[in-house]
Amino acid sequence: MVDDLTAPVGSRGRGQMMGQGFAGLALVAAPLVLLIVLVLFPTVSMVANTFHVTGEGGRAFSLAKFAAFFADDYSVENLRYTLVWTVISCGTALSISLGLALYLRFSEGRIATMIHALSLFPLFVPAIVISYAMVRFLGPNGLFQLLLEKVGFTGYTTPYLTPVGPYIAFVWESLPLPVLVLSAGLAQVSDHAIEAARDLGAGPVRIFSQILLPQLKRSLLIGFALIFLGVVGSFTVPYLLGPPAPEMMGVYMQRTLGNMRPEEAQVQAVILMAVAAIVGGFYIATMLRNQRSR
Amino acid sequence: MLRTVKLTKTFNQMTAVAEASFAVEKGELICLLGPSGCGKSTLLRMIAGLTPSDAGSIEIDGQDVTERQANKRPTAMVFQSHALWNHMSVAQNVSFGLRVQGLARDVIAAKVTEALRLVGLDGFEKRRPTELSGGQAQRVALARCLVVEPKVLLMDEPFSALDAHLRANLREELKALQRRLGLTTVFVTHDQEEAMELADRIVVMNAGRIEQIGQPADLYLEPQTLTVARFIGQMNEATVPVVRGQANWLGQRVAVGAADGAVTLLCRPEDLRRDPAGIAGRVARVIDLGPVLRVTVATEEGATLTWLCARADAPVVGAPLALVATRLLAYQNGVRVAVPVLTKPQLESVMP
Repeated sequence: MVDDLTAPVGSRGRGQMMGQGFAGLALVAAPLVLLIVLVLFPTVSMVANTFHVTGEGGRAFSLAKFAAFFADDYSVENLRYTLVWTVISCGTALSISLGLALYLRFSEGRIATMIHALSLFPLFVPAIVISYAMVRFLGPNGLFQLLLEKVGFTGYTTPYLTPVGPYIAFVWESLPLPVLVLSAGLAQVSDHAIEAARDLGAGPVRIFSQILLPQLKRSLLIGFALIFLGVVGSFTVPYLLGPPAPEMMGVYMQRTLGNMRPEEAQVQAVILMAVAAIVGGFYIATMLRNQRSR
Repeated sequence: MLRTVKLTKTFNQMTAVAEASFAVEKGELICLLGPSGCGKSTLLRMIAGLTPSDAGSIEIDGQDVTERQANKRPTAMVFQSHALWNHMSVAQNVSFGLRVQGLARDVIAAKVTEALRLVGLDGFEKRRPTELSGGQAQRVALARCLVVEPKVLLMDEPFSALDAHLRANLREELKALQRRLGLTTVFVTHDQEEAMELADRIVVMNAGRIEQIGQPADLYLEPQTLTVARFIGQMNEATVPVVRGQANWLGQRVAVGAADGAVTLLCRPEDLRRDPAGIAGRVARVIDLGPVLRVTVATEEGATLTWLCARADAPVVGAPLALVATRLLAYQNGVRVAVPVLTKPQLESVMP
């Protein structure tokens, strides 16, 4: 056994090593084939299709489909609406997650455990359930309105079918992952590092801004990317809770496809994919930097 | 300069520090020494304000700081894990306390340069803590504290994670720096050698209580409790009955100033000497410590004695050997009782 462990690599059987290599390849082959056939090929083909037009002279490279998208005010408004509310949702969810993660980092006991469990709860609730729960709670004649009326407040305007409706659902739905990422980031900051700052005269605000926040930069970036990617392409929540117009890109795409305009839907998808790719690339780069710095 | 009065801390009904009272003079280096879990770090953290005390008071430079938050106390602490901030450069780490104080940029720069020069790290300003060795990181942590000119410097086992050679070097440097700057320092350690080398006075703690406060030599030569005697240095120990002021130590009668009952007699390995009239035994083992040899002797009575002897006196393993004690310490119920200084004639006179 010891000989096996201490033997130089070259002394191991070449056939054995090749066997291991083949077994490894066999293990990744199935998911790799699925990825190529079901994801990469349709995606590449769709992207290629959006950059071509078929005319009398045959198929030719063209940006005409994208020009048409950006020339259409309603499409641009939908894209703008999607980006603005995604960023607002990200900012809110990230701020709340940071608050929760900070509380959990510095608190112990039953209440902290309960809050931790509650913050992760949305992870296990499907978007459609969240949406209907929102309708029942915040919608017209919902529980919230009834409660307000009980205490004498009658001027309630429901956020249902306004941009605020999906926004509330997005924030609630997006909390668990950034809470987990930020908690992990905060766990990396030792108690002594915080105490050393306190000991040198720093108050809570300075400790947060100069000790904790800079060390959480990567966790915040990862948290932002996770929320952004989840919200920007969402369909169920904005479809059930959002206004009829403007529409989130996911809803817009589905409607365009339903109207038998698949080429336009493809352009919308590629534009949304480009936006997601920027944030996704950013996420991957941050993860790689994290791994390299370890 | 620093005075604690009956400082007490309890965690979940377990007393970590019980009524600890001691004072540190200006420019003095005091070591809090004791085994792991004896409450020395808790006591230090209470002085720093990082752990609130349950009872008692802390006074620094005549001012009661017991109720002050850590960031409002004139102390600075070096942690065991150096606790440097990896997202900041060395200069930013060192200047943090000065930036908190809101000093001018040029003043900060000058003070940082001076602090780094003091700890022998000039030119390291732009390095990241991850690019430093353990010793360098601990020097930066020290500079970070020195630069704010604290009234009391607190150090919580700062060298314990370093290798022995580096630890010895840093100890010497710290002592020289502390003397030169006149730093009032409280240094926590579980390493008695470190405490003996560094401290002007040592506070020995056990189970949350202060056992004895004294200069290193006092603690070594005159330990007032059995715990201190056992903790500081090596001892040959035997618990024997005492009847009418007489006890029997390995076949020798010894006069002890204790009531009838049990008494613990202790003898340091260097307080044994070869003497044909002494306790007879055979050399079981010889360990070469360099300047001296540590000899384990199995006595005819079945006891084991440790003897530190000069190289010139080196015995051979298996050889017969007789030893006499030139000095014994006696403790009853953990408290020291009188035992006459043993001289050779006295020893012979009490031989059976």
